[in-house]
Amino acid sequence: MTAVAVGSALDLTPGRTARLAWLRERGMGASILVAALAAAFGVVLVEVTAYIGATLQADPFIGDSGTLAVVVAILSILLTAVAMYVAAVVTANTFSTIIAGRTRRIALMRLIGASARSQRAEVTGQGLVVGVIGAVVGLALGLGFAAVGIIVGSSLIDGAPESFTLVQAGVLMPVIGVALTTWLAAHIGSRRVLAVTPLQALGGSVERTHDEVSRRVGRNVGSLVLLISGAALLFLGVVLGLVTPLGVVVAFFGGVLSFTGIVTGAVLIMPPVLRLVGRLFGRSATARLAAENALRYPERSSRMAIGVVMGVALVTMFAVALESSKALMMRQSEDGVPLEMFAPMDAFAGIMMVLVAVSAVIAAVGLVNLLTIGVVQRKRELGLLRAIGLTGAQVRRMVLLEALHITVAATLTGLVLGIAYGWIAAQSLLGAVPVLPDYEPAGLVLPAVPWLPVVVIVVATALLTVIAAVAPTRLATRVAPVEALAAD
Amino acid sequence: MEITTSDLGLAARVQHLTKSYGTGAAGVRALDDISVGIRRGQFTAIMGPSGSGKSTLMHIMAGLDAPSEGRAWIGDTEITGLGDVEMTVLRRRRVGFIFQAFNLVPTLDALGNILLPFELDGRRPSAIEKARIDGLVERLGLASRLNHRPHELSGGQQQRVAIARALATAPDLVFADEPTGNLDSRSGREVLELLAAASRDHGQSIAMVTHDAIAAAHADRVLFLGDGRIVADHPRQSAEQISAYMLAAEVAA
Repeated sequence: MTAVAVGSALDLTPGRTARLAWLRERGMGASILVAALAAAFGVVLVEVTAYIGATLQADPFIGDSGTLAVVVAILSILLTAVAMYVAAVVTANTFSTIIAGRTRRIALMRLIGASARSQRAEVTGQGLVVGVIGAVVGLALGLGFAAVGIIVGSSLIDGAPESFTLVQAGVLMPVIGVALTTWLAAHIGSRRVLAVTPLQALGGSVERTHDEVSRRVGRNVGSLVLLISGAALLFLGVVLGLVTPLGVVVAFFGGVLSFTGIVTGAVLIMPPVLRLVGRLFGRSATARLAAENALRYPERSSRMAIGVVMGVALVTMFAVALESSKALMMRQSEDGVPLEMFAPMDAFAGIMMVLVAVSAVIAAVGLVNLLTIGVVQRKRELGLLRAIGLTGAQVRRMVLLEALHITVAATLTGLVLGIAYGWIAAQSLLGAVPVLPDYEPAGLVLPAVPWLPVVVIVVATALLTVIAAVAPTRLATRVAPVEALAAD
Repeated sequence: MEITTSDLGLAARVQHLTKSYGTGAAGVRALDDISVGIRRGQFTAIMGPSGSGKSTLMHIMAGLDAPSEGRAWIGDTEITGLGDVEMTVLRRRRVGFIFQAFNLVPTLDALGNILLPFELDGRRPSAIEKARIDGLVERLGLASRLNHRPHELSGGQQQRVAIARALATAPDLVFADEPTGNLDSRSGREVLELLAAASRDHGQSIAMVTHDAIAAAHADRVLFLGDGRIVADHPRQSAEQISAYMLAAEVAA
């Protein structure tokens, strides 16, 4: 994978070429890829939502309903906002872990006299460059993909709109958004630059342990406030949804707040889940080493996990939201409600699933990066383990288990969150919408979980884990036992 | 029939061992046709200046590296030509390691580190092994530290845990690479006395690479390397004698 190819850590070539040499550094390519994927994701989503909106309006069954037109408009905006939000957070997470891998070099610069602020400014500037490159690449990719998709779409869907243009002002939102959020992500991720001491250039850098991390009270309280207020808004959204479709707007902000709380509080939420999953892997030496490793840098593992959580939660959310919507709208479907009414919605669900899968790919890139950084920083320990008798096969199993550990924990968390958010979305949007045959609202319904997408999610994450672990595993097995003795 | 390593009273040996890095004019010959054995039940120190080849010799004898030419045995098993898996299992079961630093897995507590060779082997220690481990823990004064993680232990305590792990499987040979290099002199002396006692009282064969004359003075035998060859083989010596020899060799070179 070229995205994580080893670049020269310190390029001393003078002149113009050296100025962009950092782009070849480990992880930079990957973060451009992530930014590009995120931007392309956003662009395609804008195009597809616009296209679906146009298709729905052309639909003879739905186009007439004034309420549903409003619903589609709200949905379009909300989906774009959700996509933007997730893209931003994924990009931010990936970028900050890349910076974590640069501690040593930053420490060296500090050692020879660079100020912490100038070092941070440099990182932030690089973030903007990465963001712009990624966003532009993503725009091109996204437009290309959307163009192909719409040609395919119009041949498959009956009643596709006659004229549809790819030139949507909306695509600028994700493009500019990704460029800016990558910049912002670089700035936020580079906060730890300020904590790097010149001494870390001399010794192995030590990341904060769980205890120290948990002690950052301010941030924890903030996460808790977000979580609680978010949960309250979600509840309010569901209640309001029984009266008006605008309940979904309240619920949306509840979702954003509570999910932001979960993301920023990941270090508090994920370790207990990780510990629980670790117990499932048994007591063998490799399983225990893997389980302990996943908890060694709780911040890093939690960040990695939350990337996967977002992808899984989002896919599940769409699937559950649509299934629950059907439940809400089909309440008395046996009484001859035409099932074709749901055809565009099913197409919509399928396209959304595929689109959201892109965020899983973004998470997989993050997983590759984090596993790689983990292996690189543990070279000496791996050498020690090889010396005292860990075989190559055991090394492979250990790294794979480490990856699995995180994705299993993340998938479980994501499924639970996705089901909750999806149900709340459908409930708050459609609880008050009058449906056929008697034009009475459905009221409260139970969350409807479609099992096929859940199975697809589980299989897909398992596959992504295995694929993401390939490169780091190869790197880990290449560590020679003698490296335990290297005077580093 | 070939004479075996144990017939010779040796725990490990190498024969006509050569190790070269690179080729042609740029090539470096780290070991130059060395033949030597580590005697069973003895505490042997391997000394020599930087670049003398002492680390390379130890890496090959311990099965961590492969020679360019020549043969090596651990016990009666010839290790040259073994595959990576066989080699790894052999290290796990029959060789103990004590490094200068970073001996312990940071995520495991002291007991977990001591039991690691057994767990990597997928088994629990037998009753006899358990008794030996208990004895080691007692002798090394680790009883109250077993549930501490490495970062909660002092440097000397960490090295003692490493010694316990190295001795736990009763290996053919324990390799120690500058085991006192990171310790203050008192902890260093304790570690050396523990190694000497393991050899004297329990017949453990130990090979220790060091460039510290005081450390080497604890050994039964001192091998000196220079330019990839054995240049001297002395029985137990005082630190003064070792220093004097090294100084003379340095001046002569």
